[in-house]
Amino acid sequence: MKKAVLKLSALILPLAVSSAVMASSVEQTKGSFVDKFRQLDEALPTPNVYRSAAGEPAENYWQQQVNYDIDVKLDEKKRRLTASQTIEYKNNSPHTLKYLWLQLDQNIFKSDSIAEMTSTFNGKTLQGDPQPKSTKLSLGQLRRQQFMADNELGYQIANVKDEDGKELKVTVVDTLMRIDLNEPLKPGKDVEFSMDFAFNIVEEDAVGARSGYEHFEEDGNDIFLLAQWFPRLAAYTDYEAWTNKAFLGSGEFTLEFGDYDVEITVPADHIVSATGQLDNPSSVLTSTQRKRLEQAEDAKRPVFIVTEEEALENEKEGTNKTKTWHFKAENVRDFAWASSRKFMWDAKGYHQGGKDQPLVMAMSFYPKEGGDLWKKYSTESVVHTMEVYSRFSFDYPYPVAQSVNGPVGGMEYPMITFNGPRTDLQEDGTRTYSQAEKRFLIGVVIHEIGHIYFPMIVNSDERQWTWMDEGLNSFLDGVAGREWDHTIPWGVEPRDIVEYMKSENQVPVMTQSDSVLRLGPNAYTKPAAALNILREVILGRELFDFAFKEYAQRWKYKRPTPADFFRTMEEASGVDLDWFWRGWFYTTDHVDISLDKVYQLRLDTKNPDIDFNRLRDIEADKPMPLFVKRNKEEGKKLWVEENPDVTDFYDENDRFTVTNKERNAYNKFLKGLEPWERKTFERAIKEDKNYYVLEFSNLGGLVMPILLELTYEDGTKEEQYIPAEIWRRNHKHVQKLIVTEKGKNLVSVTVDPRWETADVDVENNNYPRRIIPSRIEVYKREKSKAKVSRDIMQDIKTELKKDDEKDAKEQQ
Amino acid sequence: MRFAAIIFALLLSAPTMAHQLKASVTTVLFNKRTNNIELMHRFYLHDTEHAVEHLFDGNADILSNKEDQKRFADYVESHIALQTLGGKPLELKDVGAQVDGKFFWVYQEVTIPEGIHGIRMSNGALRDLWPAQVNMVNIEGKGKVKTLTFSQDDTWLEARFESVNPE
Repeated sequence: MKKAVLKLSALILPLAVSSAVMASSVEQTKGSFVDKFRQLDEALPTPNVYRSAAGEPAENYWQQQVNYDIDVKLDEKKRRLTASQTIEYKNNSPHTLKYLWLQLDQNIFKSDSIAEMTSTFNGKTLQGDPQPKSTKLSLGQLRRQQFMADNELGYQIANVKDEDGKELKVTVVDTLMRIDLNEPLKPGKDVEFSMDFAFNIVEEDAVGARSGYEHFEEDGNDIFLLAQWFPRLAAYTDYEAWTNKAFLGSGEFTLEFGDYDVEITVPADHIVSATGQLDNPSSVLTSTQRKRLEQAEDAKRPVFIVTEEEALENEKEGTNKTKTWHFKAENVRDFAWASSRKFMWDAKGYHQGGKDQPLVMAMSFYPKEGGDLWKKYSTESVVHTMEVYSRFSFDYPYPVAQSVNGPVGGMEYPMITFNGPRTDLQEDGTRTYSQAEKRFLIGVVIHEIGHIYFPMIVNSDERQWTWMDEGLNSFLDGVAGREWDHTIPWGVEPRDIVEYMKSENQVPVMTQSDSVLRLGPNAYTKPAAALNILREVILGRELFDFAFKEYAQRWKYKRPTPADFFRTMEEASGVDLDWFWRGWFYTTDHVDISLDKVYQLRLDTKNPDIDFNRLRDIEADKPMPLFVKRNKEEGKKLWVEENPDVTDFYDENDRFTVTNKERNAYNKFLKGLEPWERKTFERAIKEDKNYYVLEFSNLGGLVMPILLELTYEDGTKEEQYIPAEIWRRNHKHVQKLIVTEKGKNLVSVTVDPRWETADVDVENNNYPRRIIPSRIEVYKREKSKAKVSRDIMQDIKTELKKDDEKDAKEQQ
Repeated sequence: MRFAAIIFALLLSAPTMAHQLKASVTTVLFNKRTNNIELMHRFYLHDTEHAVEHLFDGNADILSNKEDQKRFADYVESHIALQTLGGKPLELKDVGAQVDGKFFWVYQEVTIPEGIHGIRMSNGALRDLWPAQVNMVNIEGKGKVKTLTFSQDDTWLEARFESVNPE
């Protein structure tokens, strides 16, 4: 308990300090002014020869290149990989390197890894119920413990040698390994070294990981998903040097681009899907399969390379023979693969045109458990994703784009993605799936294939900034999803983030991945909603799409940082967005704009013959005092009424009577006006427009544009957009003058009528105020309505159904 | 020592999907118009779909079958409890449940007790099924929003209201 408290305070303290430091540039010790529009000068790194002030790779931009040549063998029975690899490391940096750092992600499963040792736990058991009792989860926890105890996990590495066969000294630090070079590696030079490695593959369902095997009890077979399976070079960058931060599980990977030549030896009846193009189809595929692949290139719908019947036949018996699949991949930042005898395989050519990669093969690999859901939608979703994402970035640059079903819910690698949704086997032998599972499959395939663009090609640093790939990708998968079927709720609407934005426990989006308190809303939904708002509300589609595409193209095959994104979006759109980045990415402010008051101004004509009459009308419009009203009701007569014979001048002329004294003053006033003044004045009098003053408060802190809907007496509505800059001199209260034509009388005003800005309180968005019922109030109202609207005369004719009969109507 | 560390490591290293789910949001609204504390629990429909597979036998269908919706709502209600700061239970009434877009909502309410300065709450919905489940609760209508986040082994959490208008 104590330890956890200590840890938490350690986490909070640096944040508090850094926000205080930041606040000093925004908030001063004098006065109460908060500069929400202050440029991000102090927050962004100084531009240099590697990264320019425009957010572009600058004149001396560099990144390392790492090429891998790997031979790997899968031992199906032992569920073990053994491999040897030769790595070519090219030092493009201006620095001399005496050692290299490699990522050993498999070591996260070792019992003494930082991740295992720092997993926090302060209680006796997981508490589901208010009243503690044993929970269902304990078996799952025991399964993991047993698996970890029974299997030796983590890498075994041997024979780390240089080109000449000389030993290289290695030092393992948790999930990292340092290789001390025998000769320092000078700028522009390369070095080659090799090693053997092996590890036992984890059971994904037991351990919970991004890869592993899944065992199928019924047919005795496995699906193997292999990722983070070879020692990979940690990235060496211009902004952080070695990105040697231990793998703790949340922050994903930062890697270098390079070429891969990988030979994978598996049981001869396995089908393999991998990053890269298959180099030896004639030795691993039958001639029928190769012919089908060719047919698939121009097919309208996916063509089976391995049919369901063939996969089912394959499942029945194993083999002792092996086959070696040879894959080559150019300019990728990682390599993953999948292997099983359970896989069926379909493919469809995507002719995107262009000169980079006119034909891409979209392919899916799945067991019978994937069923119709996969047959119909997986490969089609892959193609749809490329169509949409390429419009926002660049042509898909690789020869294949694949979706593989296995035990991993959803994970991405270059050219290959792992996706989890499946069908359910029913008692009658059919396989069905729910509507939500269908949505999930389409959604997850779009999301993971989208990741091939961000961050597999636009290579942001996942270990530092999860939002750069997850936020951008969630934003784009929302675009692609809604272009698939906009009636499916995809979840990047501003309204989806409101509950999180107003909650207390938050850190800014700009926080290192492993320190983010709630990764889902922080790194996915909030930045996605922010980009959605930026596109639909603030910049408009044309400016946003131009700038976003510019960002993608500038950083294709390169390594952008947040500053590069912020700078490019601003520089290419031509719109100052520092306030937007500051509010949405560097603070935990939320949007809550309140329309406090609306009042009308009327221009005095100065003409006494008009103004005095108006004043008289105003006086007459005042409600009758109770004294007068009650006296009247009692029939009391006034003195003046009872004595009508006594009158004088003032009975004929009230205090609003105009005399020539006022008329002379008016004429003098007119004469005293400059010609332009008189012209303006006369026109204003003639037009007699309505002048309304709207008073706003910013209660949430986040400055945003004010979206207005003005409703007039004649029933018409009008929309107005006030840019966020209205808050620049006063971030708390502003007033805005709205002028409308004569006769256009305002009756009500609504702020953000379509919920586009993630405003957390819509009750204060209306003037005059409206009662906004809570969800429960609405639900109760609709429920009572629903009962009344039942057609009982008709319903009463319904026949009683038998127990085993499913009522189709009820299911709808 | 080591034993505990290994078992519960699952809590941390549960599969980090590139797709985020396993999170619910509850609004606890002190509604002055109705004089009720209104609890509105919002779940991802997809989470509830997998949950009913584990919770109920057979082919539960939460998307369209009212019976299954009711059964799941009952499950949620049995995992939610509210107390005064002094520990006196507040009996929550079942209001109903509905599907709305990609969410499944469950509603409960109870009359606002006299002189309440805070509440204690337990929200274990779905957390007995999978450890990654995080239930966030926003308490509204009593001054500044208060947030309770139920994760890992949290059972009871409490929120105290600032006494803006002493009653």
